[in-house]
Amino acid sequence: MDTGMKRFFGSFKGKNIYFKIGAFFLLFLALVVIVSFFYTPYDPAKMDGTAKFTPPCGAHPFGTDNFGRDILSRVMAGLQDTFIIAFSVVLIGAGAGSFIGALTGYYGGWLDEVLMRLNDMLTAFPSVLLALVFVSLWGSGTYEIIGALGIAFIPSFARLVRGEVLKLREADFVDSARLMGVSDLRIIFVHIFPNILPTLFSAVAIGFNNAVLAESGMSYLGIGVTPPDASLGSMLSDAQGYLLNAPWYALAPGITIIFLILGFSFVSEKHA
Amino acid sequence: MLEIRNLRAGFLQQEVVHGISLHADAGEIVGIIGESGSGKSVTALSVAGLLKEGAWCKGEILFHDVDLNRLSEKQRRSYKGKEISMIFQEPLTSLNPVIRVGRQIEEPLLIHTKLSSSERRKQVLSVMEAAGLEEPEKLLGMYPHELSGGMRQRAMIAMALVCNPSLMIADEPTTALDVTLQAQILELIKGIVKKRRMACLFISHNMSIVRNFCDRVYVMKDGELVETGTPDEIFLSAKKDYTKRLISSIPDGIPRRDSVDEQSGTVLEVKNFSVYYKKKKAHFYSPAELEQVVKSVTFSIRQGEMLGLVGQSGCGKSTLSKGILGLQSYTSGEVTYIQNGKKISLLDKSSKNRSYLQMVFQDPYSSLNPAKTIGWILSEPLRVLRKNLNANARKARVFEMLGAVGLSEDLADRYPGELSGGQRQRVCIALALIQGAGVIIADEPVSALDVTVQKQILDLIKELQLRTGISCLFISHDMAIVRQMCHRVLVMKNGELTEMTDLEQIK
Repeated sequence: MDTGMKRFFGSFKGKNIYFKIGAFFLLFLALVVIVSFFYTPYDPAKMDGTAKFTPPCGAHPFGTDNFGRDILSRVMAGLQDTFIIAFSVVLIGAGAGSFIGALTGYYGGWLDEVLMRLNDMLTAFPSVLLALVFVSLWGSGTYEIIGALGIAFIPSFARLVRGEVLKLREADFVDSARLMGVSDLRIIFVHIFPNILPTLFSAVAIGFNNAVLAESGMSYLGIGVTPPDASLGSMLSDAQGYLLNAPWYALAPGITIIFLILGFSFVSEKHA
Repeated sequence: MLEIRNLRAGFLQQEVVHGISLHADAGEIVGIIGESGSGKSVTALSVAGLLKEGAWCKGEILFHDVDLNRLSEKQRRSYKGKEISMIFQEPLTSLNPVIRVGRQIEEPLLIHTKLSSSERRKQVLSVMEAAGLEEPEKLLGMYPHELSGGMRQRAMIAMALVCNPSLMIADEPTTALDVTLQAQILELIKGIVKKRRMACLFISHNMSIVRNFCDRVYVMKDGELVETGTPDEIFLSAKKDYTKRLISSIPDGIPRRDSVDEQSGTVLEVKNFSVYYKKKKAHFYSPAELEQVVKSVTFSIRQGEMLGLVGQSGCGKSTLSKGILGLQSYTSGEVTYIQNGKKISLLDKSSKNRSYLQMVFQDPYSSLNPAKTIGWILSEPLRVLRKNLNANARKARVFEMLGAVGLSEDLADRYPGELSGGQRQRVCIALALIQGAGVIIADEPVSALDVTVQKQILDLIKELQLRTGISCLFISHDMAIVRQMCHRVLVMKNGELTEMTDLEQIK
């Protein structure tokens, strides 16, 4: 295990109480996601006309919604969707961003100029707005959302990695590797890259955060996950019409989002 | 004037200074020498009241018979910068880059006195003059980056003097400077201390400076005082073993007697070699211009020869060495490696031939990849160049090399951050050897190390050279080291080389 990973996992042992709380939230929610693949108390999409707006009770711990669907089941399913989308978005953003950033940072020159100006253009758009543009081109749906947000997330990661590579390529150990005859790509990804991981980890945690928020926001606007599939954001959006007569409808997904965001914020805090 | 009694200091639970007592009188320069980690800087910071959060100090620090350690933070502040001032090691980072020099020198006056602005200006100009800054009016409005290293250190000194302090603490004030500048700055500090009857705590790891410069010397080791006395007592008749060892590690500068075997041929030939830097463009459309930094130099190294290269900083030594190694973008001329009578040009871009020539870098903290283990770093060239070796064979080679440079095999699983500076430099040497280099370029390989470690590394290089017949281009600014290490010495000035034949005459 390299030092970046070591430092990351070493945080569990440290005194940082925030990291522990955050990690606890995330592990719990991750557990819920795993369970949701095999078991939800009810079918999240099954409607029940006799049980509309049941307040939280023994049979429905979080109550039911306007179609009589069990909210606990829907939150579990929604969390699953939100998790998968956020994970894929960060994977695309951090993956492609790191690759672009590492190349431009190491080589510099015209490649750097061209890619970074493109990057600047992307950055100039708010990422959600950018994703909106892509969604309007491709249509809405889970995969479209992943693609759109993923692309919108590339610039920030590219900038970050580029800056780090720019700094590290001047280090003597890079010259030393060149003297060994190590190829450029191997220098970038085997020699330099592990040194960036700690910084990248914190950016990934923050990125996760933004992805969850962006997905929720887009689903809320009705261009994300399509019904009857649930995501936390789309549930919130549905719930807003019933805020006064059925407050539990909005509360359950809302609180889940809060815990998810808090979890990622706390975990990233130490490394930021 | 200053008396420290039973000072203990440390970080959190760990104590690093274990009860030391020392004193300094008016007009006296008191040196504290010790290797890194001996607690000398912590002692200085305790006196100055500049310990970082989490650090603590106990004991009495009597300054004009007031115990500074008992004062409240607020009372203490009236001493900082006024009665007690400090000069730091790194003039580049100890001045604030975004504030004009004059304003920074004036700052202590603003805090501690009620002088009017014209009186302040007069005082600032007078200390700048005292610190040897010419045309102080012109400098007032400049920013630190517009000043040279020596001028920055003089500005630091002016800032330290501006409130007429009675104690000055200098923490390695000349370590970052050139040899000639070093002497000037030291003379300056000495003159000021004597003239103003101040006391000066002078912290350094450089033995020869302490010897020539201080009135009294304390030797520290592992947070304790080992020995104290006048420089002559310490350097000529040390009583404690540690002090003796420290002093015997100082490079003696006795020229190397043995000479290279007459039979041995040339291994490296550098002919009309120049290195260029891209000039900053005057404006966007102006054509890229090249500036010649190393000016058409020619030299050769024979097998088993240790060739010294000396010169002031900025003369192009490092640029030349990196150019020969193929690490510079713009070069011209020939670099030829000769193996068994066969000439191999090293400057064509095929990377295959590079491993004949290897480098040991100055800073062992930056030349090893912090994210990889020592074993991985050492086996990397084998993975890249000798693909026929399997994992076990690589491991055996790595262990063999660790042994050759005097390191134990279990270091292979450690990260560079877990090694000391000396151990790291050994790893760097092993890294050069494992690639089968015929010539090693060592760029100031020991200047970042403590004297005792320095001696060990120099001995290792010499021993390896005698045993394996490897050649070495040894770059240094320390003449004593060059004299005792090298057969022949080249001097570089403004990018040009001249050869020095008589080693005795080098000073």
